[in-house]
Amino acid sequence: MPTTRLLRNAMIVSLVAVLNGLAQEAVPTLDEIVTRTNLAAYYQGRDGRAQVQMTITDAQGRTRERQMTILRRDDRPEGTDETYCGGQRMYVYFTRPADVNKMAFMVWKHLDRDDDRWLYLPGLDLVKRIAASDKRTSFVGSDFFYEDVSGRRIDDDQHELLGTTETHFKLKHTPKDAAAVEFSYYTMEVDRKNYIPSRIEFFDRNGTLYRVYEALEVTEVQGFPTVMKARMSDLRSGGNTVNTYSDVAYDLDIPESIFTERYLRAAPRRYLR
Amino acid sequence: MVRWSVDHPRWVMVLVGLATLGLLLAGSLPSLFPKAVPWLPGIRVDTDPENMLSEREAVRVFHHDMKEAFAMHDMVVLGVVNDVHPEGVFNPASLRRIYDLAVFSETLVWPDARDPSRQAGVIAVDLIAPNTVDSIEPGGPGEVRFSWLMAEPPATDEEALAIRAKAQRIPFLNGTLVSEDGKALCLYLPLTSKDQSYKVYAKLRERIAGLEGDERYHITGLPVAEDTFGVEMFVQMAISAPLAMLIIFLLLWWFFRKPVLITAPMILAVVAVILTMGLLIVTGQTIHIMSSMIPIFIMPMSVLDSVHILSLFFDRYHASHDRRRTVLEVMDTLFMAMLYTSLTTIAGFASLATTPIPPVQVFGLFCALGVAMAWVLTMTFIPAFVVLLPERLLENFGARAGSSADQEAQDSRLSRLLVATGRLTYRRARLILALSVAVLAVAIYGISRIQVNDNPVKWFTRSHPIRVADRVLNEHFGGTYMAHLVLATPAEARTARAAWEAFQTRLRAEAGPGAAKAVTALEAAAAGLLESTPSAEAFFAALNERASELAGAAADDDLEAWDAVIEAIDREALRGETFKQPAVLAYMEGLQKHLLQQGRVGKVNSLADIVKTVHRELFEGAEERFAIPATPEAVGQCLITYQNSHRPQDLGHFVTPDYQTTSLWLQLRSGDNVDMAAVVEAVDAYIAATPPPVRLRHDWFGLTYINVVWQEKMVWGMLGSFLGSFLVVFLMMTILFRSALWGILSMVPLTITIAFLYGALGLVGKDYDMPVAVLSALALGLAVDFAIHFLEHTRMMRERHGTWSAAAGPVFGEPARAIMRNVVVIAVGFLPLLAAPLVPYKTVGVFLAAIMAFSGIATLLILPALVTVFESRLFPSAAPGVRPGKCVTCLVSAVVVALTVVVNMYQVADLRWTTWMWVAAGIVLVMAGLCRFASRRAPCSLPGRGVPGAPAAP
Repeated sequence: MPTTRLLRNAMIVSLVAVLNGLAQEAVPTLDEIVTRTNLAAYYQGRDGRAQVQMTITDAQGRTRERQMTILRRDDRPEGTDETYCGGQRMYVYFTRPADVNKMAFMVWKHLDRDDDRWLYLPGLDLVKRIAASDKRTSFVGSDFFYEDVSGRRIDDDQHELLGTTETHFKLKHTPKDAAAVEFSYYTMEVDRKNYIPSRIEFFDRNGTLYRVYEALEVTEVQGFPTVMKARMSDLRSGGNTVNTYSDVAYDLDIPESIFTERYLRAAPRRYLR
Repeated sequence: MVRWSVDHPRWVMVLVGLATLGLLLAGSLPSLFPKAVPWLPGIRVDTDPENMLSEREAVRVFHHDMKEAFAMHDMVVLGVVNDVHPEGVFNPASLRRIYDLAVFSETLVWPDARDPSRQAGVIAVDLIAPNTVDSIEPGGPGEVRFSWLMAEPPATDEEALAIRAKAQRIPFLNGTLVSEDGKALCLYLPLTSKDQSYKVYAKLRERIAGLEGDERYHITGLPVAEDTFGVEMFVQMAISAPLAMLIIFLLLWWFFRKPVLITAPMILAVVAVILTMGLLIVTGQTIHIMSSMIPIFIMPMSVLDSVHILSLFFDRYHASHDRRRTVLEVMDTLFMAMLYTSLTTIAGFASLATTPIPPVQVFGLFCALGVAMAWVLTMTFIPAFVVLLPERLLENFGARAGSSADQEAQDSRLSRLLVATGRLTYRRARLILALSVAVLAVAIYGISRIQVNDNPVKWFTRSHPIRVADRVLNEHFGGTYMAHLVLATPAEARTARAAWEAFQTRLRAEAGPGAAKAVTALEAAAAGLLESTPSAEAFFAALNERASELAGAAADDDLEAWDAVIEAIDREALRGETFKQPAVLAYMEGLQKHLLQQGRVGKVNSLADIVKTVHRELFEGAEERFAIPATPEAVGQCLITYQNSHRPQDLGHFVTPDYQTTSLWLQLRSGDNVDMAAVVEAVDAYIAATPPPVRLRHDWFGLTYINVVWQEKMVWGMLGSFLGSFLVVFLMMTILFRSALWGILSMVPLTITIAFLYGALGLVGKDYDMPVAVLSALALGLAVDFAIHFLEHTRMMRERHGTWSAAAGPVFGEPARAIMRNVVVIAVGFLPLLAAPLVPYKTVGVFLAAIMAFSGIATLLILPALVTVFESRLFPSAAPGVRPGKCVTCLVSAVVVALTVVVNMYQVADLRWTTWMWVAAGIVLVMAGLCRFASRRAPCSLPGRGVPGAPAAP
């Protein structure tokens, strides 16, 4: 009888669901997921350092390389715990190609106003503040946007849990100010184990997928789950950029003074190696 | 063949019907029901002037390679002009509409018809519009700002003007996006492929039609012109071909006044057209601008012979009332003349096959085929048709006395004129010849002034929206015709070995004294790498990798030394990045300035401009900083700053990632080939006079340039085809008349005609463009027909009457009238082309009509004058049949055969002239020998022949 079989199937399904629920901790709320994802992606440790090998590949398969060291320090006041997700400072020191050797890029990330950005161009002996109308400009010619590097404010989007699979949460984020960005929404698959986003898909105004982020390699460094290799593909141009991270370290006690204009011209070598 | 047709008329009808129906279905079915017959190619339209060159042609291969290397796409240009508002389009209302249009154009994307998994249409990321391009400008003190030029439509007049001010500060946008006069805007819509342009064009026009406001919109760009042309080509075929039918029908009716009589040639014309076009489609050829003209060429030419037959048939029929016998008799009489006139026409068309331009070859071959089929049909279908006509209808024709009177009345004025002409040519022979020589002299002067030029946009009539758009936008902007000048480091200048040798001279100094050990280790490593990495780039990449490995294995004390070595390698690699070198960029700057001074180039966009603009904005927008910085590092840093924008990919349109190849984007105000050619010359001259700081090669791509290349090829190709068909026709005439002298004589009128017309072209200043070039070769095959008819009758009448003075009268009777009729049929038959909305068709119509008219007149004036003057030479008093000039004729023929072979082969095969000289000499000897042998075998006697080319008038 079909009805009995249906009934039996339904029972099995609910049983499995209950068992799964027991096996894992209680299902987190949407807010929890969003916050923990943000922390996992941008706020591991109090500070950190990584060597980045960036390979930009165009539609014809031609590649360009960029090599840089990234330092990061959270503006974490005394007394706050690891759930801090506020202001940050970032220092990017370029070594390759040869013409951008010693070039430096610095960001003060703020939650309540536009970020401050500086660029040091050694060839022109020039420190410039960069004022960009929005954060969705290319990061040094790669397929990553500046906002992908610094992190998008979670308050900028409306969040929605599309579903939960055995391994992933699937989220949908719709911008509150649609005119400020070029996408109409993006979806994110977040690893339930460590809250690392493993895949992000951006959709344009026509609802067409045009940009894909993938975490290709994730390992634990000092107990922090860390993306070691990530790719951003631009489906419209046919190009992509792969970032490979190495020498990742956290909690190095990088002093705040490093992240100032003075150190743009004189690289803090001690923290870069 | 004729006899079989007369005996089996029904079979002929069935066969012709089946063949026609078969090809009609085979040609149209695949297009109507593509799934039913997948093995047939169907109708494929091709309007791409690029296809004037073979796909393997070097310039096209380069064009495509470069388009890919620089990620360039063909573009639709949408210009917006506002003549009412004092600030042009820079007011909130206009900019709002432009913003909406730009957003709309980003949605012009659809699944590709050939591959539904891909998108076709506008490439949104590369769209150039106020809301999709970046503005770079100084922000506050010590600040540089990147923002969309027009993120949103402005709310106030001030904001609108600010947008203009920003855009005009950026060289890439000024004169490209914003007009130099600040009144107009242009959007550039890059396409996934050229053939999408008509769809995009149509959708834009639909959208624009619904817009209010004072703005006027102009859409142009070469792809639009080409694609639109394709669509209108069909309109042309749909209008002109039936119109030609109608006119020929009316003309025949006016001549003959008998609808049934006219039906046969009309059916024949349609059948010939269907057979030819059917074959064209079935064999997978494309309908190109050239091949679309085939029907209109075949139609008038296929009726000519059948008109001759029918008129003669009904002249003779009422004498015997035996259809079969009369038909056979008529065919016998006309056979030679029809064969030769058809053959010369075929030769004229077929000679086009030697032109190195594929669409012209297809056109020539299929026209030749069409004429050949028309001839076969004339030999079979017409006799069968006549035999099948019901007796009753033929009886009606018996009563032709009345209509004959009409005919006489109609003809009398023409007859009187012709007779007068005949007398004139006899009395004033020397004067006519002197005048002819004078005309020839003027014509040669005119020909020397001919200007070879073409421009696909000018294929549209002046009032066509595309022509108007072209005119308006080129008034406002730097120009809408794009050409790209490529500068590149030659591969041989960047070998690993040369680079390593240069590096070695600096290495120790750069790495510092402490790095001696590391340098030695590196030198050892480099030796091994030189073999495996031929190019400098690959060598330095490998060397770098190897150095990093060595550094990793080195002792801690040596790390610093290795760092220095690696840095030195990087710097050396940077030296090899040609287009980051300030000296090279400065050279480009100089070249640009020189080109702008020439006047033809309205605007140049280049990597140098990008570097200068970023440099200026980094230094607070100070004008004196609009310059190329001093070091390659500084250049590189300007460029990476530029790439921190919304459109980092734009850099890729100007330079390849390895900085070995750059493209200067030239905007020309005119798409005329002469202008493009002049720019090419100016660049060559500049580079020759001012050598670049490093070795550079230069080359061109872009549609405007490709047009120049194919046209140059066509001019010389057509000249070859013309020579080829001239020789072939001359040879045929020599064989037909069994005399080189008569052969030369028959070539005189058409030579003067063609010289005269092309001379007039040069004097009037009309461009020698594609249609004009094509016509030269085939006009010859058509125009010689009159001479054949005239000379045949002259010989016949001279034989009958004894002297030319006695013969001239009869020749200027019936035969001359027949010639004049043919002139009218062909000339008027081509006139419907004037109704076409496209200029090349009009040109063909006018030109062919002129050729027919002139050669008809030239035949009737010059030939009799020549015969009058040279009577004794042309009609030697020796016994009939004995021609003293036999050996001369043999020799001349042999030389001509040799020349023909050489001229035709020269076009096809790519050998040097000297080689061909020997080939020619060999052929002359062989042919002369053969000819002599042949003459001995049939010594000095002509085979008896029927009288060819009997009077054609009914």
